[in-house]
Amino acid sequence: MSVHPGSNLKHAAAIFLMAGFLFACGTNEKLEEVNYRLKWLYNVSTVGDLYADARGHFERNGLKVHVKPGGPERDALKELELGHAQFGVASADQVFRAVAKGAPIVVLAQLFQVNPLNWIYRPGRTPFSSPDDWKGRTIGVTFGGNDETILRALLARYRIAEAEVDLFSVRYDYTPFYEGRVAFWPIYLNAQAVIIGDKLSRAGESFGFVSPDRLGVKFVANSVVATRQMVERHPETVKRFLAALLQGWREALDPQNEEQAVRLLAQVDRETPEAVVRRQLAVTRELMLPAAGVAFGKIDLDAWRQTAEIMAAQRLIPAGLPVEAMLVTGPKPMP
Amino acid sequence: MLLRRIYQFLMIYALGIALLLALKYGLGLSDYVVPGPGEIGRTAAVYAGPYLLAVLNTLAVAILGHLLAIGLATAVAILGRLTAWVGSFIRTAAYNIQAYPIVAVAPIIFILLGDGLASRLLIAAMICYFPLLLSFIGIFSEPVSEIEHFYESTRRTTWRLQIKIRAFENVHKISTVVVGSATMAVVGTIVAEFIAATAGIGYSIRIALYQSDLAKILVALFLIGVVTSLYLVSLEGLGNALQARLRRS
Repeated sequence: MSVHPGSNLKHAAAIFLMAGFLFACGTNEKLEEVNYRLKWLYNVSTVGDLYADARGHFERNGLKVHVKPGGPERDALKELELGHAQFGVASADQVFRAVAKGAPIVVLAQLFQVNPLNWIYRPGRTPFSSPDDWKGRTIGVTFGGNDETILRALLARYRIAEAEVDLFSVRYDYTPFYEGRVAFWPIYLNAQAVIIGDKLSRAGESFGFVSPDRLGVKFVANSVVATRQMVERHPETVKRFLAALLQGWREALDPQNEEQAVRLLAQVDRETPEAVVRRQLAVTRELMLPAAGVAFGKIDLDAWRQTAEIMAAQRLIPAGLPVEAMLVTGPKPMP
Repeated sequence: MLLRRIYQFLMIYALGIALLLALKYGLGLSDYVVPGPGEIGRTAAVYAGPYLLAVLNTLAVAILGHLLAIGLATAVAILGRLTAWVGSFIRTAAYNIQAYPIVAVAPIIFILLGDGLASRLLIAAMICYFPLLLSFIGIFSEPVSEIEHFYESTRRTTWRLQIKIRAFENVHKISTVVVGSATMAVVGTIVAEFIAATAGIGYSIRIALYQSDLAKILVALFLIGVVTSLYLVSLEGLGNALQARLRRS
């Protein structure tokens, strides 16, 4: 019997490849892979998403979820439609703009019950008791961003003409606010507000926040979204994903799990000190947790309707969009 | 030349749009991901006017920045040719500074100069300055021996004469570099506006991106392409006229 010199090597390679294949099949056969595109980079507003992944909630629900960070150049809604992601996070204004242009998007859950966007100000320099105090002041706004839409809604609601305020185009640099050139600066209450507040405190300055929500403008922020086809064709996957995700969020926001949540965030966001993350988490809890007895992720239909009305009034979307049709408002999984 | 340049740009633009539409209809994508022809048309009808003004605003800043960069690069290159050490030092500095991404440098400029005209102008000039400088140093440091030798042997050579000879002998190269860097000046201005300014087409594109409105971006790209083509053709025309005049004299 003749033996080819390289045959042993080939057999070994074949066995190795086959073993690798079988191992791969064995480990993944029960897990369904899906991509989940977040709205922003990993920060406190994504803690529940990360928690669900790190604590194995997705795996226990038969899913291997790739939790991908978002960012200014990422659009979860476009990725859903292109099939690059199966689930995503988007704010209501993004959802309405997409649906108005025919995107088959539905909302599965609402993460923030209160929009974290506020305006920071220094009461010592520019006191604020009502939007009337804005008259003659310079207010920061990101033109094209949702803070512009919210501010315009507030101005309209309180009958303040645009000519009565001075709008200042803001970027990431807070210098104009520190220098006092801009009196009111848009800020996310659970993220930058903690850091900027610390800086002002160290400088011996008091500060306050203008909350659009308290002034009667409910503009929905981060929500979990998918395509209509995904919901119709893979209802079980959607159900399992949502159950795992919302469990992750509930646990991450539970004060008893604060240490794990903070450590998890510290691993992915090394630039924010743990002490800051801890305080950000406390604010996030207040903005995200619904009223007692209401399931986490509840979709606030009135807030969605108001968001649509605000955008339609500013001609950002056509009037009469079928708001209810794009919201999956059924009962959310409870613990 | 003008017609050919515009015609070529329109072909490239139409090809790009055709590819996007093929993708849209092939994959059944909504107008949100890729706008349809109707959506692009409606957007153009509303935004072409304001966007054209924004592009002209950008172009004005780009031209000023470009002129500033040409003047500065000429002056520094003339100084740089004095000794080999100075020339080498300027070259090294230029290569190093050129390596810094403008998106990292721009925020510092905006903090120092604010988000007005000065910052846009400086960034536009910075973007096209270093390629111009490196080319000009090369041109002005390279002796044209067959001509300069005559003046040197008759002891009539001066630094001005030397520069004139080298510029005259390399006028085609200079013209090409100036036209090439014009595109960079436009790009630099748009990047500056995108990052922090409150005017110009870069700023408009930023707002459109916030609103995920690809139709607006396509309209902006069309206008940028047309206006930049016109600028480049004008520069090429100027370069050709200058060369013809020099040949005649």
